[in-house]
Amino acid sequence: MPGCEAAKSEMAEFWHIHEGFEEAVKKHFAEPPEADVSLDSLIPEKDFNSAGKGSADVKNLLKRLGVNPEILRRVAVAAYEAEINVAAHSSGGAMLSHVYPDLIHMIFQDNGPGIGNIEQAMVPGYSTADDMVREMGFGAGLGLPNIKKNTDALHISSAAGDTTTLEFLIFFRQDG
Amino acid sequence: MDKKETQYYHALRILEDNCTGCTACVRVCPTEAIRVRNRKARIDANRCVDCGRCLETCEFHAIIPRSDPLDIIHRFKYKVAVVSTSYFGQFTEDVSYEVAKQAIYELGFDEVQEEAMVTEFMIGMIRDYIRHKRNTRPILSSNCPTVVRLIQLKYPSLLPNLFHLEAPMSILTSYLRDRIKAETGLAEEDIGIFLIVPCPAHVTAVHQPEGAYKHLQDGAFSIGMIYGRVHEHIKKLQNHPPRIQTFPKGLTWALSGVQADLVDCEDIRALSVNGVDNVMEILSRVEDHYLDQYDYIVLRSCTNGCVGGSFNVENPFVAMSRIKKMIKESTNSEADVHELDNLYRAGEFDVVPLTPRSIMELDKDIKTAIFKMKRINEILTSLPGLNCSACGSPTCYALAEDIVQGKATIDDCVVLLKRHSKEEEQE
Repeated sequence: MPGCEAAKSEMAEFWHIHEGFEEAVKKHFAEPPEADVSLDSLIPEKDFNSAGKGSADVKNLLKRLGVNPEILRRVAVAAYEAEINVAAHSSGGAMLSHVYPDLIHMIFQDNGPGIGNIEQAMVPGYSTADDMVREMGFGAGLGLPNIKKNTDALHISSAAGDTTTLEFLIFFRQDG
Repeated sequence: MDKKETQYYHALRILEDNCTGCTACVRVCPTEAIRVRNRKARIDANRCVDCGRCLETCEFHAIIPRSDPLDIIHRFKYKVAVVSTSYFGQFTEDVSYEVAKQAIYELGFDEVQEEAMVTEFMIGMIRDYIRHKRNTRPILSSNCPTVVRLIQLKYPSLLPNLFHLEAPMSILTSYLRDRIKAETGLAEEDIGIFLIVPCPAHVTAVHQPEGAYKHLQDGAFSIGMIYGRVHEHIKKLQNHPPRIQTFPKGLTWALSGVQADLVDCEDIRALSVNGVDNVMEILSRVEDHYLDQYDYIVLRSCTNGCVGGSFNVENPFVAMSRIKKMIKESTNSEADVHELDNLYRAGEFDVVPLTPRSIMELDKDIKTAIFKMKRINEILTSLPGLNCSACGSPTCYALAEDIVQGKATIDDCVVLLKRHSKEEEQE
């Protein structure tokens, strides 16, 4: 990606925390508790047949735990978008979900090539998807904005030429 | 089982004497409602959605449909049959629509009415409903009782999306009951209205309707059960075909794809889905808001729609082709829907908001649920992961869940038992 040359080797960070959740998010990251239930799965590169399976599993897990249907929908949307992102834009990766009684923490880690400009990637409609990805019906440039909209805290760290880690928190009770 | 819980009626029954405990039914059940314990299959009434898959799969005639015996019509002075559209696709092509309909009269009914008669009215009503519910997308069809129950059990967040008005056979029933009462002066209990149905789910819906405000039908007969007798009458009728009113255009109701095409118009985008696995996949996508671009989704649990119901005699594709041929070749009578329209405006076809019957939750309390999930995962690591069903649960995961819920023990796993006995031998 020639356009990303300038940003190369520069580590980029992106944080977005929804109003009212600052304290809870800070507390969670300061001393991450050990999760009782975790789920992990691999996300193979450009495998659109199985992409989405990992997030479907997470949704089923949360259904079994009796999580509120509206929260469930937000988790499902954010998880699916993030999973598709890894499949479409990276050379593969993995997703990991930790479930606590009050929240879910999901982590998506890929094997590169990294995001050159995260701020730009957050703009709705901006996409670097290649023709193959677009032909499959993906790559509309709404992935990251959609994840931001549906999560209570979003953290992305990446650098062009390096790997990307995207993680988010969604709380099960929205009244704080 | 807790006595306070509702006892759910089902149109399927297990004949223990015939059951070999083979687990074929256990593996095909979409809601994992069947377990084999002590070498006999058992259906969990809370989880069964009457889809009929087990019925079709069982090779030992150990799962049989339960529909009412035809004799019960004689308890009533005035007997009415309401015939499901798929019935007309069950005969060879030399049997006309008129003959097939007349044959039902010959069974002893005073009046025969067809679901097909109200199809056009239904389409108008569905469009009207969709246009009034601009904020809910997509609207999900509610005609298939299996789909309604599936949503209550596994996708409760989609209940507000369900089309909350009565299905055509019930609309017809409530209209007919009023009309016959007025015309004949008979009391309500003297009028028997019965459905001739393509699947067990419709029998269940008659005996335990979801959301119905009032008494609808008095019984349901399976197409398969009456087929033999109807066939005898058809043979006789073939020489003197009757001249009676029919509604071939309305037969489209039996075909899920055609129904969606009819609702689809300039401002309404419709999608058709059939087959229980497809239905579940689509419902999961709707849950995630990925199909919000559709205004209406026709969901039918059986292949091609009601022509795929397990009470039908003919293959669903052949039946579909015959019905399409009938629609093309016959002349249609115009149904007078004036009165139906008045009833609709008066709210007569409204249904009670449907409530969840969630089966997914491990526990009401999330902490306990997480604890149980942890236990399930621990047990799962010690199970062989073959999903062989030999324990009587559909998968290793289901067995782990059954163990945690106190419904099975780890000793039910045949593979582990064998491994252990081998280890003991070696020692």
